[in-house]
Amino acid sequence: MNEEYKNKVNKKYEKNLQKGERFWPDSIYKDLLISFAIFILLIGLASFVGVHPEPKVDPTDATYVPRPEWYFLFLFEFLKYFPGELEWVGATVIPGILVAALLLLPFYDKNPYRFYTKRTFALGLMSFIVGGMVTLTIKAATVITGPMALALFALVWGTLFFALHKRPEQKTATRKSLLWLATIGIFAIIGTAYVQTAALAGDEEEAVVANTIAEKMALGQDLYSLQCVECHGADGEGGTITVTAADGTEELLPVKAINTKDEMYTRNDETLYNIIAYGQPSLGMTPFGGAYGGELSTSEIEYIVTYLRYTWDDRAEVPADAVSSSIPALAEGEVPSYEVHISAVTKRYCVSCHREGKENNNYIMDNYEDLLNGGDNAPNIVAGDMNSILLQVIQGNEVNGQTGLIHVMPPSGKPLKDEYIDMFIRWVEAGMPNTAADAAALSTAAPAE
Amino acid sequence: MWKNIYDWLDERLGLQSLYENLLDRPEPHGTWWNTLGSASLFLFVMQALTGIFLTVYYTPSPDHAYDSIQYIMNGVAFGWLIRGMHHWGATLMVLVVFIHMLRVFFSASYKYPRELTWMVGVMLFLLTLGMGFTGYLLPFNQRSYWATVVGTNIAGVVPGVGPFILKALRGGTDVSALTLSRFFSAHIWMLPAALAGLIGAHLYLIMRHGESAYPDADD
Repeated sequence: MNEEYKNKVNKKYEKNLQKGERFWPDSIYKDLLISFAIFILLIGLASFVGVHPEPKVDPTDATYVPRPEWYFLFLFEFLKYFPGELEWVGATVIPGILVAALLLLPFYDKNPYRFYTKRTFALGLMSFIVGGMVTLTIKAATVITGPMALALFALVWGTLFFALHKRPEQKTATRKSLLWLATIGIFAIIGTAYVQTAALAGDEEEAVVANTIAEKMALGQDLYSLQCVECHGADGEGGTITVTAADGTEELLPVKAINTKDEMYTRNDETLYNIIAYGQPSLGMTPFGGAYGGELSTSEIEYIVTYLRYTWDDRAEVPADAVSSSIPALAEGEVPSYEVHISAVTKRYCVSCHREGKENNNYIMDNYEDLLNGGDNAPNIVAGDMNSILLQVIQGNEVNGQTGLIHVMPPSGKPLKDEYIDMFIRWVEAGMPNTAADAAALSTAAPAE
Repeated sequence: MWKNIYDWLDERLGLQSLYENLLDRPEPHGTWWNTLGSASLFLFVMQALTGIFLTVYYTPSPDHAYDSIQYIMNGVAFGWLIRGMHHWGATLMVLVVFIHMLRVFFSASYKYPRELTWMVGVMLFLLTLGMGFTGYLLPFNQRSYWATVVGTNIAGVVPGVGPFILKALRGGTDVSALTLSRFFSAHIWMLPAALAGLIGAHLYLIMRHGESAYPDADD
């Protein structure tokens, strides 16, 4: 770099300054306007989009698919092209070279020209890299596949390059409109891919995250109904379980009530958490934590603990917005439906055993079809038939079925509340309507009042 | 009255010369692309302010980090707003700093006499990414934990020094309480201090050489 070149640059800059503007107020005004717009944008994003809730960390959950923050996605995607032994090349060598190249750019870019038509190589290379980063990010974040990504890359890079490459025969207006067209095309593709991805993501089952105590209690109650009712009873009243010892002998063990003051006062949340996670093998309780062979994640066990604490501990102040019971009461003359009433009862009292993978004569009770027609003793319940197996066993009568003697249900010995038994009877009488609308139609057919 | 107060302050602070040297400067004609640098600075200040508020309730321990953020989101008045702004501010800052860098590249502003401004700027960009990486772990949820496991693993594949870097980042062999406190410390003290210092250098260099002019066909 010689003195002559420096002089030329400085002289040119002086000239630019003379026909330029003032820092204050010309450019400060624009700066403030943009900063204010960003401020409004931030408040808008925080208020209307918010922060996506994530479940609590569970270091033992090896099935979790990790994803970095979106601005590292391109690197994440890039690394997939360097499997196994080559990973360090993609992870360190290439990014390292790029960072060094970026940092030392002024030293090796010896091109004295500044106008873009005279810097075709530099601009082309940079467009290539940025286009690649954008495409890799889109490929990682959306449903776009390899060939589609390649086409998109050609479009992104082509647009950038086309915008910068000078062709004297072409009018500026034509070039500008073509540029706009390509830009709109790129955004249209990204937008479509994003919408498709969002639609797909909506289909996938996502972990529900509770934020308030009321939400934790509601989720905890559902989890308790599924995981705990089998042995501890619907209200933690306890019962009896059969434990198979190592030598194959079966032993009946009592399960003490866990809903007492004694239990709640002598065990803090951490102890409850640990009992659920690790189980109590000496007492016949298997571990429920995901790390120890159970089905529950860290957050889920916490929700159960919250539910137990706020339901049975008389010292806990239940928040005003907590829902105490989700089983709706029946009005006089109202016909219950599966959708609203029966499913709420079965969910609380039956499904813990009557689901896949449990000993239940293959009678699954978590959906309408199986409830009516499933099981080895099917049908367990028949419209209008007061001698249906299900109705008999919940009223305390043992029944002889195809599989032998069918015991009283629920097996813990504590019968369902009378109002729930009444609910089942009225439901069978009315013809076992599925939806609330069917039940309402049957209700109005009956004489009013 | 106001004039007297101003004169008194001016005599002691030199307000008039500050105005002449800092604000009343000539500069070449700019476009809206020239606002990205100040927008980056504004986002840095916003991140600093919201971040300082967040540290009031945030607890950098594996047992309490998640719950303290839940409390910020649900218990603290306007905590959700501060957290939301910090969360989205991070995303915007990476984006704005990156586009600012591209603008400088495409207008060739990194050439003589602004080479050093460019190099400081690249370091600012890398530090911004570092802020994003360290800040991502702090909520200590599934997503952030596993992203950090994978991210630090990548650092570990460097031949030779990889295992050392991995241990230095994590404070042990696994992502643990030590990793969280290291990332927390880096996120609220080390990286911001480095950022603030380099921003000062960046601004000084900009004032020394003036804002760059957009090149025309003769350049």
